[in-house]
Amino acid sequence: MDALALRVAVAVLAVALLTWLLLSLTVLLGRLRYDRQRERPRSSALDARSAERLVRRVRSRPRTEWGRWRRVTALQRLERAHHPAVPQLIRLVLHDPHARVASAAVRTLGDIGDDWAIDILIDALRRGQGSRSRIAAELEELAPAPGQRLVPLLRDWNPAVRFWGATLLRPYPDLGEATLIELTWDPDPNVRAAVVETLGTRSGKAVGTALLARLDDTEWFVRVHAARAAGHVLGVEAAPTITRLLAEERWWVRAAAKDALRGMGSEAVPALLAMLGHDDLFARNGAAEVLQDIGFVDFLVLDNPRSPLLERIYAAGGERYRDAAEARVDAIAHEEARVA
Amino acid sequence: MTTALVVIVLVCLAYLLFTTVVYVTLTVIGAFESFVRRHESWSADYETLGMSRFTIPVSIVVPAFNEERVIAATTRSMLDLDYPEHEVIVVNDGSSDGTLAALIEAFDLEPYQTFVRRVFPHNEVRAMYRSTAHPNLVVVDKVNGGKADALNAALNVARYRYVCGVDADTWFDRKALLKGMRLVVQDPARVIGVTSHMTTARKPEEAMAPPQGRRRIDLHPLMAYQHLDFLRAFFNNRTAWSRGNYMLCSPGAFAIWRRDVLEEVGGYSQTFTCEDIEVTFRIHEKYLREGRDYQILCLTDNVATTEGPDTVGKLVSQRERWQRVIAETVWHYRRMWFNRRYKSVGLVGAPFYLLTEVLAPAFEVLGLVALIGAIALGLFQPLTFVAMVAAVAFVNAALTASAIYFEDMQSRTYRKRDLLVLLLYAPLDFVVYRPIILWARLKGSWGFLRGDKSWNKFDRNVRAPA
Repeated sequence: MDALALRVAVAVLAVALLTWLLLSLTVLLGRLRYDRQRERPRSSALDARSAERLVRRVRSRPRTEWGRWRRVTALQRLERAHHPAVPQLIRLVLHDPHARVASAAVRTLGDIGDDWAIDILIDALRRGQGSRSRIAAELEELAPAPGQRLVPLLRDWNPAVRFWGATLLRPYPDLGEATLIELTWDPDPNVRAAVVETLGTRSGKAVGTALLARLDDTEWFVRVHAARAAGHVLGVEAAPTITRLLAEERWWVRAAAKDALRGMGSEAVPALLAMLGHDDLFARNGAAEVLQDIGFVDFLVLDNPRSPLLERIYAAGGERYRDAAEARVDAIAHEEARVA
Repeated sequence: MTTALVVIVLVCLAYLLFTTVVYVTLTVIGAFESFVRRHESWSADYETLGMSRFTIPVSIVVPAFNEERVIAATTRSMLDLDYPEHEVIVVNDGSSDGTLAALIEAFDLEPYQTFVRRVFPHNEVRAMYRSTAHPNLVVVDKVNGGKADALNAALNVARYRYVCGVDADTWFDRKALLKGMRLVVQDPARVIGVTSHMTTARKPEEAMAPPQGRRRIDLHPLMAYQHLDFLRAFFNNRTAWSRGNYMLCSPGAFAIWRRDVLEEVGGYSQTFTCEDIEVTFRIHEKYLREGRDYQILCLTDNVATTEGPDTVGKLVSQRERWQRVIAETVWHYRRMWFNRRYKSVGLVGAPFYLLTEVLAPAFEVLGLVALIGAIALGLFQPLTFVAMVAAVAFVNAALTASAIYFEDMQSRTYRKRDLLVLLLYAPLDFVVYRPIILWARLKGSWGFLRGDKSWNKFDRNVRAPA
């Protein structure tokens, strides 16, 4: 047995030693080669034979994931070399059933950014070739901007396409307003949420009315977007309606309402003070928190620390709320004394 | 007696052969996964992702206990990440040193009362702070309750749909979140968890500072061997686990989770020594039991460097804890072992942990004692023993060299000289580093059997004053 064990051990040792040596050499030589290539100015030009080989690779239908990624790399090299077959080849890769491979082609399209690339990207968005969020990100970074070409997406049968159409229209305040307002009643809540978010960057009475209606949406995440959007578009006019959302069951809606009210600054104070006596603890807490965040509480502590209003706010906020306010004001007084 | 000894030696050799075959297989699968991830990473458009409003916001949650030496610097490294929208929530978990004071001073913190959700249970919060200089920084000061408790407190404060749990002693690559989130952004419905490759150093801030291609590896032997250990763990194992959908450990130093998933499973558990591996097991268990489609991924990008123990004593203390928590978790989820209902997790992942992690110290010690006994009885010649040790050492070295190869192909991060030193260190790993780890694992196994749950936090490495 000893002899057998020794023979096996020596054989394993020989194989392992050789593998270790080979791998070590591969690491070091590979790295040397890489560093040398990096030092040389990088040329994207391809000779005819290499180009032909790469085109063949992109046209092939690889069955393995390995082959698919080699195909993507080939496409990227051809794109860097501005090969004339790229527009046609990119469509082939976009049809790859593997979403991440198709997404890699999306990136290449974003790099190209030509007019024809925009059309392919919008088409890919419609068909769901690759990740839609990835396509949207590329479309938004493009110059020239796709603008008007996005409007038809709002009428697509597929809610996912309408969602992205509405989302991508955000940087274009003059486009598709009537359709967007109409879509605030879309049967799909994701579309309604996207529309509300986009309308939040616009202005006007019709937009404001549409947003106020969404504050009572049946889906909580639509109410989240509606609270922020209404606060932005209508300002203090929406404050009494938004403060109602401070009593919401969903934390996300309450958080959005607080964000919207914070954004209004001191103008929201009357609406917030009205909530201090609310039956709901969340509503009282939320109103006190926003009053603290906009500086109203610190102002009262400095101006009139015995004010009954301050006591009401403290009662809504609780003991730790009071401690925090007093600590902040102490720090201010300390700092003023130090400066003086 | 002699027959019994021979049987034990044969069983241990069979175990050795089995684990070697398993590791070689995992390395081959890991090589393929590394290839795919590398190409994916090349085609990722980080510039667009870094500016896009469609990149999903993330809450970084940082539990901190007695971290006054490093907390300001690591928090700054998290605030400086290239990411369109993220917040940093640091939880001072009842530190007895100046952790909170260091944060207050470094970030101009002011006390603010924020009314947060009470979804995850945790000990009492004493105060909350916001920074006047960094609106995306929140500091929670709470009564000590352990790491899981601190993470739960941070989850209640988190505003975003994804959370990234990190350690307070970890320095991040500026693109760490972008790298971690790139696949989540493409498929948020399926990708519920992500972790990525990271390394270790005595002074991670120095390791992460120089630009790509010039980063130094801490070549202190103990650190270099830990570095190699991390490389093997990620490139030879975890990438393969990720490929097979049985990624069973998202390490606490960088673990991205969809927040609603953590909410569904009840947050981090405080009944285990350590929270990271347990929560990963729990999520797998729930999702597989309910037959849901999901992915927990391990990426190959080097996203961070964490502070590693710089003495043998500290290392043993850390690894003893790791062994204990592995044993606790694998035992707790024993219903998954070899259970087809849990797919690759039940058939491959959990048994892998059981055989190669939990039982490994027992087999290793038994094998060593039996071999020595066999030599004493004249069944084996000392030369055979030496040949066996050398064979195992070089198998280990070959696996290590492959991990170095995949890492360098992925990142091209380190200097050539450092790569050479690592490659030369590799064959000695088995005789220099492994015995320390074996000792730690034995202690950990004994601790598990005794029901020990202590953390054994190692003292921070000594640094020159700033």
